Amino acid sequence: MAAAALLEEFGPADARERDESWRYSRTALRALAQQEFVTADVHASVDAALRERFAWTQTDGRRAVFVNGVFSAAHSDLNAIAASVQLRHDAAGDDTEHRAHLAINGDCAEPLHLVYLGLPGAAPCRWSAVLDIAVTHGHARLIEHHLGAAGSDVLGALRSRMTIGAGATLHLTAICDLADSTSLYHRGDATLAEGASLLTTHVLLGGRLQRHDVGVALAGAHSRFDSRGVFALRGRQHADTHMDIRHVARDTACDVLWRGIADDRSRGIFHGAITVAKGADGADAQLSNRNLLLSALAEIDTQPALEIHADEVKAAHGATVGQLDERALFYLRSRGIDVAEARRMLVGAFAAVALDRVEQPWLRAHLGALLAPRVGTENA
Amino acid sequence: MLKIENLHVRVAGKEILKGLSLTMNPGEVHAIMGPNGAGKSTLGNVLAGREGYEVSAGTVKYAGADLLELAPEARAAAGVFLAFQYPVEIPGVNNTYFLRAALNAQRKVRGEPELDSMQFLKRVREKLAVLHLKDELLHRAVNEGFSGGEKKRNEIFQMALLEPKLAILDETDSGLDIDALKMVADGVNAMRDPARAFVVITHYQRLLDYIVPDFVHVLADGRIVESGDAGLAHKLEEHGYAWIAERKLGHGVSAGAA
Repeated sequence: MAAAALLEEFGPADARERDESWRYSRTALRALAQQEFVTADVHASVDAALRERFAWTQTDGRRAVFVNGVFSAAHSDLNAIAASVQLRHDAAGDDTEHRAHLAINGDCAEPLHLVYLGLPGAAPCRWSAVLDIAVTHGHARLIEHHLGAAGSDVLGALRSRMTIGAGATLHLTAICDLADSTSLYHRGDATLAEGASLLTTHVLLGGRLQRHDVGVALAGAHSRFDSRGVFALRGRQHADTHMDIRHVARDTACDVLWRGIADDRSRGIFHGAITVAKGADGADAQLSNRNLLLSALAEIDTQPALEIHADEVKAAHGATVGQLDERALFYLRSRGIDVAEARRMLVGAFAAVALDRVEQPWLRAHLGALLAPRVGTENA
Repeated sequence: MLKIENLHVRVAGKEILKGLSLTMNPGEVHAIMGPNGAGKSTLGNVLAGREGYEVSAGTVKYAGADLLELAPEARAAAGVFLAFQYPVEIPGVNNTYFLRAALNAQRKVRGEPELDSMQFLKRVREKLAVLHLKDELLHRAVNEGFSGGEKKRNEIFQMALLEPKLAILDETDSGLDIDALKMVADGVNAMRDPARAFVVITHYQRLLDYIVPDFVHVLADGRIVESGDAGLAHKLEEHGYAWIAERKLGHGVSAGAA
């Protein structure tokens, strides 16, 4: 298959724009496109080791599991789901795009855990799914958890549409903990009504290629988008995030803070585009992206892009790519902390900054545990 | 305890220390004074093991071992402590966590039992009181948002907590007002001990009114050019470093003639 055909399947977009936005991931995409993929088995078995990675006691009773894009009643546990949450899904077909609809119309104090498993088969396989999320009111909390099991290649594609109603809030933690043989294309488009808030935290780990297209329309006055994210890559892992935030209405705000860490020969890309439309006065747009290269062969490309068509706007953006601060490293070592531990402390602290919007201490602990081995930098 | 012989050090290709020799015994306080660019901070950094300092000649023996062979963390565990001239801010690393990790890492290397959080906090509280530091600083990130004076006092607080055998204070007095200077001096004086030695690097004699040294050395152009007792610091204050330069010039001429 040509790379262009694969992209076409990922969703409609202006061809030239799309081409440009894939500039740093084109080689990785072409390599994928040249491979033959069969349709993934939606009944693939989940082994105990994999189950342990998502069967968190804190989300028991509030967990929906999707196997290669399709809802699996056998692996899900929805006994304690809040009355305000409704999850519908299309019956599993053989080769159709699988759809799930999540409607939330009231507060959920504890997050709903959506687990997407990318399970390999005998031959390289692919899946494709759609998730629609509508939060009409209240404060909704979600964890979207992508897990890849090692084996032959798996290519997953998830397109997600989010609508957040007037005054409603969606708190979303997206974890992509992929195997080196797993690729994921994820497109998430959110539309926020008046006074609505979207708070997201992305933790991106592993993956042959993971690409995240995040589109947020601040369509209602006083709507707000807070985005936090961290990627930690090693080996030949590749993660690419493109953010497209549009301030459409008056007095809207966005606050984006991402951290990137790349070791070995890995590659990270962060593109943050913010557009303030004509008439969207009073907009406040903040974007900060700092990155850490832990190896001379790793590469990180970052590009903030700010386009302002309104008058009264507060905007600030900054992006850096650097190495570990040698002064800080020496300071820690001079107090007796060995070099490996000193590096772990500094890299860990660098990443932890991006977890400040995670509310639950247990979730923060899970994320910390996922990140800890990725910031070990044993090769340095 | 410390024996530096004919130490030559290059930084970025430029020779900064040009044959420095210094011998220190436990219990002694040695002040190193000298004009800007004499190599005072280079001495402190070389002793602590900072990268980028190339030792081209000479030896440094510490407690019988070759100090220059040791990694910075091994020097710390062996009892060497450098109070930084410019303490580093480390966002995201909690001060308490850092201090406990440092203390326990050192204790582990020395084969001593690690302190649990109760034992550690008890020790912290004792030392904080001496330095008149607020508890609140412990909850912040290392040096982040600390005022200049707080940073310097935090260095001395770390020293008090880690209880080194050889403490090197690199211009700990710079940027301190008189009250903070007194607190720092009190902290140091409280730690003076027959088993512990101090190198006090300073530009001005003022600090030495509060930390009275056993020996004063004048470092100029990479070498110790004059040594004496505490009285030497007062002479320097009176006559300035130019006085030493002139005397050395005279000395050099006579040596050349001999």
